[in-house]
Amino acid sequence: MPAETHVARGPIGPDEVLRILRERLAEILEIDESRITPASSFTEDLGADSLALIELVEALEEELGERTVGFTIDDEDLGDLHTVQEAVDYVVARLGT
Amino acid sequence: MGERAHVIAIDAMGGDHAPAEIVDGALQAAAELGVGILLIGREDTVGPLLPDAAAAGVQFEHAEDVVAMNEDAASAARRKKDSSLVRCAQAVREGRAQAMVGAGNTGATMAAALLRMGRVRGIARPAIAVPIPVPAGRHPQLLIDGGSTVDCTPEWLAQFARMGREYARTRLGVRDPTVGLLSNGEEPGKGDELRKKTFALLVDLPGFQGNVEGRDIMHGTVDVIVTDGFTGNVVLKTLEGALRAAVNLVFGVLDSTPEAKEAGKVLTPLLLDAASVLDPDETGGAVLLGIDGVCVISHGSSSARAIVNAVRVADECVEAGVVGRLKEAVNAG
Repeated sequence: MPAETHVARGPIGPDEVLRILRERLAEILEIDESRITPASSFTEDLGADSLALIELVEALEEELGERTVGFTIDDEDLGDLHTVQEAVDYVVARLGT
Repeated sequence: MGERAHVIAIDAMGGDHAPAEIVDGALQAAAELGVGILLIGREDTVGPLLPDAAAAGVQFEHAEDVVAMNEDAASAARRKKDSSLVRCAQAVREGRAQAMVGAGNTGATMAAALLRMGRVRGIARPAIAVPIPVPAGRHPQLLIDGGSTVDCTPEWLAQFARMGREYARTRLGVRDPTVGLLSNGEEPGKGDELRKKTFALLVDLPGFQGNVEGRDIMHGTVDVIVTDGFTGNVVLKTLEGALRAAVNLVFGVLDSTPEAKEAGKVLTPLLLDAASVLDPDETGGAVLLGIDGVCVISHGSSSARAIVNAVRVADECVEAGVVGRLKEAVNAG
């Protein structure tokens, strides 16, 4: 179910989600953002393990939760998100934008 | 909390003897150490344990949830944001406390600290630095990692070594700490792929003495023993079991004959005094290194005394600026 929409700073579209995701993931993995493309696989291309993904999810919930009340990511869904683009699509769907 | 320099957040609900022993330890720590205590737990169980009059330096906060010892670590840390454990980590993040102490679910404590306080840049995974007593030694050895990160890469073990060395310098006062890589033989070629690759990364680390073996533990051969969290935890439990067996053996002999019982009257007080160095309640808990804040993990069956000593370690780490010094060491490395 999409989060209750309560946009504080304008709508969050796919481009914005991708920007936030790349920024946060680069911080967590301590890699250059340029290495992170929509097609990048979290594990194979970027070397992110389960703990890194949980750090990412926490960071996304924190940032997007400030702008969209009730935004959360289900832990059970993490296993289905293999690439950056899949994660962006998932987040956008959860945001209901 | 008045003039108290540092505030230590304590998870009142974590540990086999929680909350009674934890609360007792928290009250003792505030009285003995002069630190401020932020005690977080459930009002219905912790409240009745608190003195009627407010204890000096102790502040209590209600938290609705509790993280159980057997709960999934990451999930608990993520979803139980109103648990006493996560609230402790959050208090450090917000600056309401300068350190946290927990005796509950180790994995969840690590995850909560990691997610709430963040990681030190340049450190991929946190590691638990466990002080191992060295009888007749001048200071304990540090075993790192005692169980925080089970599956490690060689790069992570090399990071553990750098952190362990700096921590030994800060906490143990060793000017030039020596470091050993735990393996199944001293020769450089010994060990599995993880050990061999790690060895290659450590050869240029100042103080690196090469491989050490299990028999070097508790003997002070090196100041810092580096291993992965899986092996480290097995080592700790093995030591615990072996020491318990040895103690039972000695006291069994002293109780075996009338003559031995007579000897025991003289020897038992001496042995008990000597054995105090091995008491885990006296070591003060283990510090989680690599976290951007101070988190001390006390063992699951912590007594009030163990909590006092864990608070002491937390306070000393804050005072010594351990996190800042680790950051400098990692960046310099």
